[in-house]
Amino acid sequence: MIKTFIISSKLKNTYRVNSIIYSIKGLPLINKILPSSLYKNKFLKIFGNIISILWEIVSAFLWKGLYVWLVLGSMTFAYKTNQINTFLHIFVFSTLIGEILNTYLLNPTKDKYYSIILMRMDANTFALTNYFYSILKLVIGLMPFTIIIGLMLKVPLLICLSMPFFVALLKIIVIGIFSIPDFKKNKVVKNENLPTTKIWLLLTFLLILGFGFPYLGIVINEIIYIILFFISVILGLISLKEIITFKDYKKIYKVLLTEENVYAVQKASSTKTIRENIAKNIEYDGEITSNKTGFAYFHELFVKRHSKLLTKAIKKQTLTIIGIFTILFVIIFLNPTLKEKLNSLPLIYLPYFVFIMYMLNRGTTITQAMFMNCDHSMLTYRVYRTPNVILGVFKERLKTLILLNLIPALAIAIGLVLLLYLTGGTANNLNYLIIFISIISMSIFFSVHYLVMYYLLQPYNINTEIKNSTYTVVQYLTYFVAYYLIGKKIPTFSFGILMSIFCIAYSLISLFLAYKFAPKTFKIRL
Amino acid sequence: MKLVIKNLKKNFEKKEVLKNINFEFEEGKIYGLLGRNGAGKTTLFNCLNEDLPIDSGEFYLKENNVKKIEADDIGYVLSTPNVPEFLTGREFLKFFIEINKDKIKNEKNIDEYFDFMKIEKEDRDKLLKDYSYGMKNKVQMLVNIIANPSILLFDEPLTSLDIVMQEEMKQMLKSIKKDHIIVFSTHIMELALDLCDEIVILNKGILEKIDKNNLDNDKFKDKIIEALREE
Repeated sequence: MIKTFIISSKLKNTYRVNSIIYSIKGLPLINKILPSSLYKNKFLKIFGNIISILWEIVSAFLWKGLYVWLVLGSMTFAYKTNQINTFLHIFVFSTLIGEILNTYLLNPTKDKYYSIILMRMDANTFALTNYFYSILKLVIGLMPFTIIIGLMLKVPLLICLSMPFFVALLKIIVIGIFSIPDFKKNKVVKNENLPTTKIWLLLTFLLILGFGFPYLGIVINEIIYIILFFISVILGLISLKEIITFKDYKKIYKVLLTEENVYAVQKASSTKTIRENIAKNIEYDGEITSNKTGFAYFHELFVKRHSKLLTKAIKKQTLTIIGIFTILFVIIFLNPTLKEKLNSLPLIYLPYFVFIMYMLNRGTTITQAMFMNCDHSMLTYRVYRTPNVILGVFKERLKTLILLNLIPALAIAIGLVLLLYLTGGTANNLNYLIIFISIISMSIFFSVHYLVMYYLLQPYNINTEIKNSTYTVVQYLTYFVAYYLIGKKIPTFSFGILMSIFCIAYSLISLFLAYKFAPKTFKIRL
Repeated sequence: MKLVIKNLKKNFEKKEVLKNINFEFEEGKIYGLLGRNGAGKTTLFNCLNEDLPIDSGEFYLKENNVKKIEADDIGYVLSTPNVPEFLTGREFLKFFIEINKDKIKNEKNIDEYFDFMKIEKEDRDKLLKDYSYGMKNKVQMLVNIIANPSILLFDEPLTSLDIVMQEEMKQMLKSIKKDHIIVFSTHIMELALDLCDEIVILNKGILEKIDKNNLDNDKFKDKIIEALREE
């Protein structure tokens, strides 16, 4: 039993270490220096092992600490009910939610898939040793926090001590009373990572009970908790016997550990799934055609056949923006005293709009669709990669991307100018123009930025996987810069002028770079 | 006309995938490129198509003069057909003809191209996304030969086709070989012997021609396998 546990732990550790090395190899610049023989480098293996063990220890406490602190501790203060009772109330219901979403034993994880399905380890021994290890880790990881946070809220020590066991017992009960008997009877195991509608309804119901009822002043008390705890001890012991004596874990795992289940979560966000979804978005009826020729013909058909994908979100964005400004105008009309406060929105908070324009820009989705449904195939043709064709298509795309993103941008620009005017105007009339130009330049900037980055750093390989870490880093950097500007109160006049100059200069430089380098850089990654 | 490769080298880190390749592929012949898995056949094609940078060496076209290989000179048909799924077969061809207008000699009507590739009338105006694997393969080949490049590289293009389609494609390749340099990689020995005029093997990073020397097919096969086995 111990041998099986050690082997499975070693296996888990090995792929964890390999993942760490893989991440290091994925870093820009560093990946050029590091050889692929890195995986056998002893020093790195030791380093990876240390990180992996440290992570095992830290993760045992970190998430649980955050959970007890944020979900239980902080939320307790959100209600006016008795603190101890509220703490216990939220604890009981969030524990129930947790047990439904992750039983440990029947969670289709990769380590189970590798060990039982691929490496054919003894399923019963693997299941039980790893399960009890996880339960032990759970109790140890939770204990310090239920004690510290519990005592801070004046929860009796014995109750604090019992709480981790309560979580463990409920996990055991879900398996022993529900899952195993259900499998024995119906030969089915549910994938916890893909809850059914019924499960979602149950989770919503528990969420309402746990976090909604305290608002109404309805919470359980210590006595109810103690009763629940003792019931869980009795049912837990019965379940424990069921879990230990059950001998068909192999059969359970054969049903559960299908590739589809194990990779369900990754698959949803994988480029393959994104590609399949984008491919579904091709609209075709014989009527959709184009009178243009060459690149313009090609691009117009792309736009027309993807019109929903390209414009649906933009329509929604624009309507929402118009709606928000309409509400603001009505508020000003009904309550003129708010004018002064709202006047500062366009005059001081313009930096906020960098982030807003970043969020609204559809560059990522559109370039992704361009790759998945068009360039993925076209780039395999050498003729499509000639400078003439690349730049011809690039120009058509740039026009479309700028125009599409300008629709919500115009709504914001006009809305802000009107808002400024209706809330009392400004001493410097140039501000109207600056606000308008800033918003429009920001929109153009992001459109150019996304398209140029796509052409200069084309990140996908033939299997539509992202293979260029620099592209990912640039995406994150864009986000952080936009995010950083939130909360910066800079006068519109100076910020607007600087921003407009920056956007125009950046766009011109990057367009120059795209024209110069895209014929070399715009190709499928190998 | 010849495709001349001189001292071409390509390494992946320390692994020498292509070691000093020296070879001349001639117009009017179909070359069957054979090699074991991982021998570097696709790498060689990727280098010739400039998808991968080479470490050293050169390759060019030679007729009376030496000519640098431009994008228009090369057509590369991948083993997995890649076509833009949002276009119909006809629209895809129209686009390709338009962007290659000045390079196409004796431009034909789109339907004539479809007829040449034996693509049925009812399929020509369907979205490429609804084409079968084999049909996509045919369209990919058609687009690659439409602009009449001097060099055509085929990376195992017939492997997944049914026997009727394979036969059609074989006949098509034979019909165009006169004006092209065709290099055709495959794992299927029978296909290589049946279709190709010359057999070239890529083994341990070296490209070499295997002469038939009046051997019958069985003995020639043994000779090829022996050459591929060599350490």
